[in-house]
Amino acid sequence: MDNITICRCEEVTLEDIKNTAKKYNCTAREIKLRTRAGMGYCGGRTCRPIVDTVMEHVTGEKPGDNIPLKVQPPVRPVSLSTLEGKENEK
Amino acid sequence: MKNNHRIVDHPVLGSLPEKDSITFTFDGKEYSGLAGDTIASALLANGVRTLRVHEASGKPRGIYCNIGHCFECRVTVNSTSGVRACLTEIKDGMVIESGKPEAQPFASKNVQDFPRTYAEFEKKQKVKGDK
Repeated sequence: MDNITICRCEEVTLEDIKNTAKKYNCTAREIKLRTRAGMGYCGGRTCRPIVDTVMEHVTGEKPGDNIPLKVQPPVRPVSLSTLEGKENEK
Repeated sequence: MKNNHRIVDHPVLGSLPEKDSITFTFDGKEYSGLAGDTIASALLANGVRTLRVHEASGKPRGIYCNIGHCFECRVTVNSTSGVRACLTEIKDGMVIESGKPEAQPFASKNVQDFPRTYAEFEKKQKVKGDK
């Protein structure tokens, strides 16, 4: 059960999150910074709700505290060439 | 090329209508799909389920959400990287490359043991200094 992958982009397992949460008794945001769960290519869109749920079980932290796992731009991976406008020149 | 993983006769949707065949290459190998296929569905019909491997661990990845949300199926199409195979329609002569593992020169193994605060870091340094 504990070797379930929670964050596929950064390959973080449930065990990693549980161990880190227990060791440091930390917030969901700190879990994100320590394990990199939710910091991968998809921008945490896949695992953010799962990390929040796991944290609720392990430390009792309710999602939506003062420093939650927030969503911020860019909401989608954008290449620098697109930002530069190169895509339009083609 | 065979397309024997397709549902040709569906109990609800009926039989598969006649569609143009489209050829493309994936990792240098030639495959064929039907007009309107996505890269992921065309490859799945050909029995290819691994679209890339994880950059660090090399574990295989394929279709996961199939709605363009998780980026697990990203491939390189005509030298543009990060294209989602589940959303991109195949075109004749498309050159598709799978994601390969990358070199990990700075991979660290004891992330869990990093000091939490600067005070903790100083303490660790002091202990090291005393030895």
